[in-house]
Order: sequence, then structure tokens, then C-alpha cells
Amino acid sequence: MAAKLQSIEAAAVKGPKKRKPNHGKTGNASKKTKQYPRFEPMTKKPSKKMKKLFRKRSRDYNSDDEEEMKREVDLDPGSPGGDLGNNDDDKSMDVLKDYNESDEDAMDKASEGYQGIIKFAEGSRAFRMAFLSIMNKNLPNDPLGPVLSAHKKLVAEKLADEDAEHKVKSEAKKEKHLVAEKGHVKPAGFLDSKEKFLIGVATKGVVKLFNAVKKVQNPQKSLNPSKSKDAKALSKQRKEAFISELKKQTSTSAFRSSKVFQTKEESEPGWAPLRDSYMLTSSKLKDWDKIEDPPTVCGNDNVTFDESSSEED
Amino acid sequence: MARFRNRKMHVKPPVVKKQPSVDHIRGEKIPKSFVFSRGKLPCSLKQLELDLRKLMLPHTALRLKEKKRNTLKDFLNVAGPMGVTHFLILSKPKTIPHLRVARTPQGPTLTFEVHEYSLAADVARTQIRPRCPQGLFNNSPLIVLSGFGNGGQHLKLTTVIFQNIFPAIDINTVKLSSCQRIVLLNYNAETNLIDFRHYSIRLQPVGVSRRIRNFVQSHRVPDLSSLQDVSDFLAKAGYGSESEADEESATVSLATDLGRVNRASMKSAVKLQEMGPRLTLRLVKIEDGLCSGGAIFNQYDIGKSTKAEEDAMEATAEEETEAKQETDEEAEASQETDEDID
Repeated sequence: MAAKLQSIEAAAVKGPKKRKPNHGKTGNASKKTKQYPRFEPMTKKPSKKMKKLFRKRSRDYNSDDEEEMKREVDLDPGSPGGDLGNNDDDKSMDVLKDYNESDEDAMDKASEGYQGIIKFAEGSRAFRMAFLSIMNKNLPNDPLGPVLSAHKKLVAEKLADEDAEHKVKSEAKKEKHLVAEKGHVKPAGFLDSKEKFLIGVATKGVVKLFNAVKKVQNPQKSLNPSKSKDAKALSKQRKEAFISELKKQTSTSAFRSSKVFQTKEESEPGWAPLRDSYMLTSSKLKDWDKIEDPPTVCGNDNVTFDESSSEED
Repeated sequence: MARFRNRKMHVKPPVVKKQPSVDHIRGEKIPKSFVFSRGKLPCSLKQLELDLRKLMLPHTALRLKEKKRNTLKDFLNVAGPMGVTHFLILSKPKTIPHLRVARTPQGPTLTFEVHEYSLAADVARTQIRPRCPQGLFNNSPLIVLSGFGNGGQHLKLTTVIFQNIFPAIDINTVKLSSCQRIVLLNYNAETNLIDFRHYSIRLQPVGVSRRIRNFVQSHRVPDLSSLQDVSDFLAKAGYGSESEADEESATVSLATDLGRVNRASMKSAVKLQEMGPRLTLRLVKIEDGLCSGGAIFNQYDIGKSTKAEEDAMEATAEEETEAKQETDEEAEASQETDEDID
């Protein structure tokens, strides 16, 4: 029963500790050992061996605690008390990051134990005052903050270096971007005179094409062949067209080679082989007769025949 | 088990529509093109490459995959069986981006400096209503070359190559509805620069108020809330046409009806809207072969050009024209007549 009571007491004491998130390994171990008998069924008592183990563990734990407390005393005159400056404690934890972890653990433990509280209450107050005075100090607007002077110099140098590096890098990047974007122009929102001129040129081209298409694709739309007058006109037109075509073909064949851009007849047959120039121009068919058996037919004769036949059509 | 079987469903291979390499009516080879880059391109030029591919549609590889290790020979090897006749090669040396236009497999190659360029996105950003109707890229664009007429041999060669880069138009059989885009190359003799523009063609009936046109076009119920009477809708002209004066020269009477609004009986106005990309080019060099061979023309030693070079140029121009005739091209009214425009 006494042991049980003790365990309950211990639990009560360790209550606040349980809520704290950061525990050392030893803390966890102690929790296990102390809480173990609590969940023990009433009938079963711990065996002697186990008891021994528990005792040993508890001893270890205590000794450890003491040791660490001693170290704490050696290192720092003040350590935060549990009831006095929990908030300050946290703050100090945030700011003073130079403390190594073991010290932090020690401080935790110090806040846990009664002894620690009593012993270091005075010291912690002094620390708190010092800390508050630091915090309340009005600092010049220095991005580095209150740091040791030697370190300050180093940090300043480092920052300056970084800045210069960044500047160089950004400049190089900008330059690269400029080179990459060379020639890239965002057009203006309005149409300037040049663009208008260009659109005009293009429009003329389109208009010409459309007019030509209209001329070719339905030339007789306006004339009604059922009317006698129109029919006459139509027949005349056809005749004229035919004759002009005849003339055109002879003339074009004469100076085809000399002219670079040559207007083609508008009413040539649609299918390629029907055209008069098919045999002449197609490279495959050009010398068809010369390849295999040259003596049979003369190429020129063939061409003339072809031309005349197409004209009659 | 069934679920798994479902997941294992057979994936249908994408249907590859085989494009004919020869025009079925005219028996003429359709020019096809690859647009790719040599070397690493910065972001904006990559975009330009995509824009150019879109411009070259439909007879181009829109999603041509290129790798770093691909050499020109690789493209050339693919080009043969695919029937690709033209290469448009973008590159970005340290100084200025270059565009090379080459005929495969033997050349010649035109090298242009790209002095200025704007992407299609840049152009679209400047417009209030960028226009992209469906099927805009289903047909190849018309090409208008202007100002090239009275230049040297190198300009002649340029015109020939650019005329052949798109399939020729046969005005006997062409459908007006297929003429939706136009590419303009305008040569400025003073600055030696070539302006490269890409427009979409839109036709509008003349003398019809915008409200009525929109009503007919969209078939949507108009908002009459601000009007006193229905007659207002017809009688009241909206804000009027912006460019009534310009329209005189830009009106066409169509051969056939085109869409809902444009009737053959009525006059239609031709309106062009820029689509981009926009390029300002300068012809620097013409090489004999495909990105190799002797320089037929070089901008930088134009004073030193020997007679032999000029002869070579003439010979190539001749060859080109012969090739053109070989393909049995029909009259491209828009192309040939623009020599007279200026």
C-alpha cells in the first residue's frame, strides 16, 4: 500500500511534467517505472527481482537528476523556477538558441523538482530581470539584432557577400533574358501606318484572287441563255474565248522558257494529263520514248500531236 | 475480377488520316513542310516555332518531336518517305535569331535574319476580339508576295521558293470558303527587309447594318429593350461601319454564296485581321545545297559578288521555275498579280 501511495504521489508531482512535450530519455524511462505499479492488478505483487530492478532504476534516475542539477549550477547561476517564470522560461528557450540540448533538458528537470525550485528561485529572478532588460532595450534599426560584436562583423560580411552574389546572379540572368528575347517585339495596340499599308496590300491580293475566281467560275451568270439576245452574246463570247485561247497557247509556248513568272491560261482542263503541257513538263514523262527504244517515235512529233488534240477539245 | 478486365480494355490506336501527297484533281505534288529548330531555343522562339507550324498547317507536322541529338540528316531521312518538300529551320546563335527556308532534298537554302518578331499570342493580346473560327487551319493559306518584282536574282529565287511553299491555287476549282488565311511577304527595297504577316480573311456584306448582320449570322434573339419599335431595329444604324471609305477598294462580288451572310448577288467587303506571328526578315545568304554548299548570294559581300555567282543564281532560278512548271501549277492570281500592285 505504501508503495502504491508513493506512486500516486509521484504521479501528482510529475503531473505538470506529463503535459510538457519535450522529454529526455531518462524522463520517459522514469515515467514507465513509476507508472507501472499503478496499472498492476491488486492481487499480483511485483516479484523481488522486479522490485530490485525498480529500485535500481529509481536510484539511477535520482542520481542522474542530481548530477545534472549540479552541472546546471556550475554552468549558469540562474535557472528558471517552475512556478515563477514559466513564460519567461519559454521565451528564453526561444531566444537563446545557443544552449545545447542537454542544458535544456536539465532546465526542464530543474523546473520539475521541488528542490530545484527552491534552490534557483532567486537566480531565475535575476535571469528574468536581465532578460527583460535586454528585451526592453530600444535597439537601433539593425537587421542583425543584438549579437556579439565579432559575430556581428562576420554576419555583416556574409550578408554583404550574399547580396553581391545575388546582384551578380540577377544581372547575369537579366542579360541572358535580354539575349534570349532579342528581336521579340510586343506589337502596339493600334494599327500604325505601316501595318495599315501591309493590310492594304494583302487585301488587294485577296480581292484580285476573288475577282479572278469569279470571272472564271461563273462568267455567264448575268446572261440568260434562254433569251435570244443573250444567247447570241454568249455564243460570240465562246467563240472569242476559243480563238483567244488558241492564240494564247501558241504565244505562250514560244516564250515560256524566257519568262520567269508566267500567267497560265485560266481555262485549261482540270485533269493534269489532259493538259497540253503535261508531257512537256513532267520530268518522268518528258523523255519516255528515249529511255528504252529511241528509234520508234520522235518526241517532237508526239508533242505536237498532243497539243493539237487538246486544242481541238 | 470484372473491374480489372475492364481496366485492361484495348486502347484503340489513333486514327492516322493519311494525307495525299498528290492533289487528286491536278496531279500535282503537294508541298509539305517541317518546322524545327537547330540548337537550343529560348522560350519565346520555341513559341514562334509552334506559331510557324500552325501557320504552315495543314501540310505540316504540327507535333514534330525533335531531340537534341537529331541531326539534319535525320529530318532529311524522314522527309523523303513523308513527301516533305520544305524545311523551316529556326536557330538562335548568340547574336540574332535566324530562319532558314530550305527545299529538300537538294536545296537551295535561304537564310534570313529575324530582326523582329511577335508571337501570335502577342498579336492576339493587342486585339479586342481575336478571331479564330472553326476550320481556320483546315486549308493552307494564300500567299501574297509584293515588292519583289524589280530586285535582283536573289529576290526572284526567294519568290519562287515562297510560292512553292504552299500548294498552288487553281482558280478553276478553288472554293472561296477554303480561302481563310493569307500570308503576306512584303519586300521593302530601301531597308532590304521583308515583312512577314499572317492574316485571317473575313467577308462581310456591304451596306448591311451590324445588328442585322449579327442577327442573321448568329440566329440569336436580339436585345430590343432599348428600342421603341421593331422598326428601329432595322432602320437605326448602329455605330456605322468604321471604314466605309476603305471598303470601296476592298469589295468583292463573290462567285458563290459563302456562309449565311455573304451572298453571291451582293457585294462583300474583304476584311483582314492579323493572326500572327509577325516577322521582319532580312535575306542574308542563299546556299546551293541544303544548309550547305556554295553561297549563291551573300548579303555581306554584295559588292564582291562575282559574275560566276550571278550565273549560278540564274541557273538555280531557272531550275526552280522549271520545277515549278513541272508541278504543273495553275495561275496563282494573287501571287502573280501583286507584282503590279506596287
